[in-house]
Amino acid sequence: MTNPGEMRQEPQPAFFRTSLTGFGKQLCEALPVTFGCRELSSASHTVSYYDSFEWNAWKKKRVIRKKGAKLSLLDLDSGHETASCPLRSTPTHIHPGRTSHDSVRELLSGLSALRAFIRLCRLEEQTTQLHITNDNEKTVAVVALTVMTLREKQREPFSITLLSVSPLRGYGNEARQLTGELLRAGLLSEETSFPAVYKELLSAAGLTPGAYSSKPSVRLDPGEPIHNSALKLLMATFRVMQANEPWLSKDLDTEFLHDYRVAIRRTRSVLAQLKGIFPSADTERFKNEFRQLAKRTNDLRDQDVYLLAAPSLKAMLPPPLQPGLDTFLDDLRAAHKNELGKLRRYLRSRHHAELLHSWEAFLTEPQQCSPDDPPDALRPTASLAVDTIRKAWEKVLRHGRNINTEATDEELHGLRLDCKKLRYLLEFFVSLFPEKVIGPVIGYLKQLQDNLGVFVDLSVQQEYLYGYLSEKKQHPDYDALSRASIGGLITALYHEREHVRKRFHATFSHFDSEETAELFSRLFQQYR
Amino acid sequence: MKTIALYSIKGGVGKTATAVNLSYLASKEHPPVLICDLDPQGATSFYFRIVPNKKYNSAKFLKGSKKIYNNIKGTDFEQLDLLPADFSYRNLDIELGEKKNPQKKLHQNLEELSTEYSLIFFDCPPNLTLLSESVFAASDLILVPIIPTTLSLRTYEQLISFFRENNLDTKKIRPFFTMFERRKSMHREITQSCKGRKGFMDTTIPYNSEVEKMGLYRAPLNAHLPHAPAAIAYRRLWEELAEKEQLT
Repeated sequence: MTNPGEMRQEPQPAFFRTSLTGFGKQLCEALPVTFGCRELSSASHTVSYYDSFEWNAWKKKRVIRKKGAKLSLLDLDSGHETASCPLRSTPTHIHPGRTSHDSVRELLSGLSALRAFIRLCRLEEQTTQLHITNDNEKTVAVVALTVMTLREKQREPFSITLLSVSPLRGYGNEARQLTGELLRAGLLSEETSFPAVYKELLSAAGLTPGAYSSKPSVRLDPGEPIHNSALKLLMATFRVMQANEPWLSKDLDTEFLHDYRVAIRRTRSVLAQLKGIFPSADTERFKNEFRQLAKRTNDLRDQDVYLLAAPSLKAMLPPPLQPGLDTFLDDLRAAHKNELGKLRRYLRSRHHAELLHSWEAFLTEPQQCSPDDPPDALRPTASLAVDTIRKAWEKVLRHGRNINTEATDEELHGLRLDCKKLRYLLEFFVSLFPEKVIGPVIGYLKQLQDNLGVFVDLSVQQEYLYGYLSEKKQHPDYDALSRASIGGLITALYHEREHVRKRFHATFSHFDSEETAELFSRLFQQYR
Repeated sequence: MKTIALYSIKGGVGKTATAVNLSYLASKEHPPVLICDLDPQGATSFYFRIVPNKKYNSAKFLKGSKKIYNNIKGTDFEQLDLLPADFSYRNLDIELGEKKNPQKKLHQNLEELSTEYSLIFFDCPPNLTLLSESVFAASDLILVPIIPTTLSLRTYEQLISFFRENNLDTKKIRPFFTMFERRKSMHREITQSCKGRKGFMDTTIPYNSEVEKMGLYRAPLNAHLPHAPAAIAYRRLWEELAEKEQLT
């Protein structure tokens, strides 16, 4: 169901570059005699644009603009406002899940509930408006001259002058006649568009919309030695780490750390699974270093997951027990702050800088081929891809089939890791296989991983709570209500986990089916 | 979408002035709003300085959605559009008579606009014809301006009788007094006698010479002189209507 007004088609404004510096004699003289001008209004505003680190707004064809005391969503193609809410302040970032303004949350959460929207650039906008009238003195179009000046620290001031012609509904012909005359008079140069101007402003601020992706696509050549392909994959993954690292300590949202951790895991996965490609001493050293680095972020991620789930955790408890969870959540926030401080200090350490430096050197320095080369370094990428994927797939099947009706914690934990390894391999080599085969394979695997992921999360959360309870055992301030809440939460999480455990066999047999086997064999046939 | 008709069998009672000012006020609080000028005299269109496209006529109006759509024009006020009247509208009745189900025609023709506008106002010509019947069927509310005189009140009674005879829903009808002059005893007596009568609006629009001057400056009184006595009364009328009919 559409709300009234959503469908009302406003005529689109046309945007032009112009040599005009102000409305004056020049413009009025260029107007055809049948037109007149009325009401000159002038306003100046500070305008800020926002988007998330992974460009959630841009990808959904939206622009977030703060102008005056209003935060608006604009349509990227037309520049038209589609929704807005009042906002007095101009924060450096807005997190829909953390803001105290309900209307702001409502406006932005459709774009992303997890990511913070960061201020991209700030500009001064000076707009002068002229109403163009016909011989009835009826407004037929509004012409606006806008000078936008970007003010960014450590950058040259950058400015764009635009003239927009917005016809009123039903007056398209008059507006076309008007722009025709202005073009002939040489007052307008080439026509441009809202997205083009927006892109230009961002580029002047040093930004490229849509540039970041947490899963960079790397095109691999099936015949290229695996050694080169692996370096390409590792390099792309390293770039993701580098992109996220400076943001970790700011804690604007949980996804910087999440992407950072995934990049580390993918790096470790290449090193561990593509054996015989790099000298084993190097492999061991970096595998170990990255394992240590990942470990330093484990607690932070667990706390993030908990804090994100806080509202639903509360909802699991009966209302009288819900307030008892507040002490736990406060403790969690304090622990999170503490962990973040530790990570921040570590990331500034000499040891970490050396790791990054030596890793980049390992990835970029040309490596000589010699008879001492690791045995598989020169094998064609595709053949090794097929072999490792097959092995990982068979391992998932073997371990999964061995899980009996009980499905113990250890068995499910182990299978989850096997699935992760297979998933990374499929994603690394995705470019070697046809999308219509590998797409569904990843889809089936994802369903299985979701089941196992939820299971493990629920286990980890229970363990954390047991640990927390025993830690608080002697604490005098820790009252009965708080203890009861934690107890209640453990019970609720336990029941939910057992429910997920029961669903495991059905989910696994969905994956261990003829259909999936057929897809895998088609995948392997690709490079027989 | 809700539809509100300004209707009276009698002319010169303030239909157009009410339609122009109420639609202007509605566009501020319940946007977007469309006003359909159905009177071939085109007074509403004149007030908004709008002339219909050369090729627009009653036949296109009767064809419906797309043809209507292409002829809607933006007024000088944000979120307020107008479908102008053409002189050919004087034949609308005859043309309507040739259609199937003429009473339902207007309702069908405007159906596609329901996603575009929150409110549609009809400014109707003064008579009781097939077009009026079509308006009655298409409207959720029928606002009937009455000058507090016996003659004007009589036309209102005629309208009620017509509704009853034709099994139409009289609950849609909302009469209210316009051009009220306190110094006239008849005005005082009539408004007093109708106070609290079923369907009658509490707000009365006073006589105000500024309303006549709308023809000179050609804009809603509420936009041009929001503090004029009639403008204040129109605002009150809109607020009463919005509250009673839960429009906002």
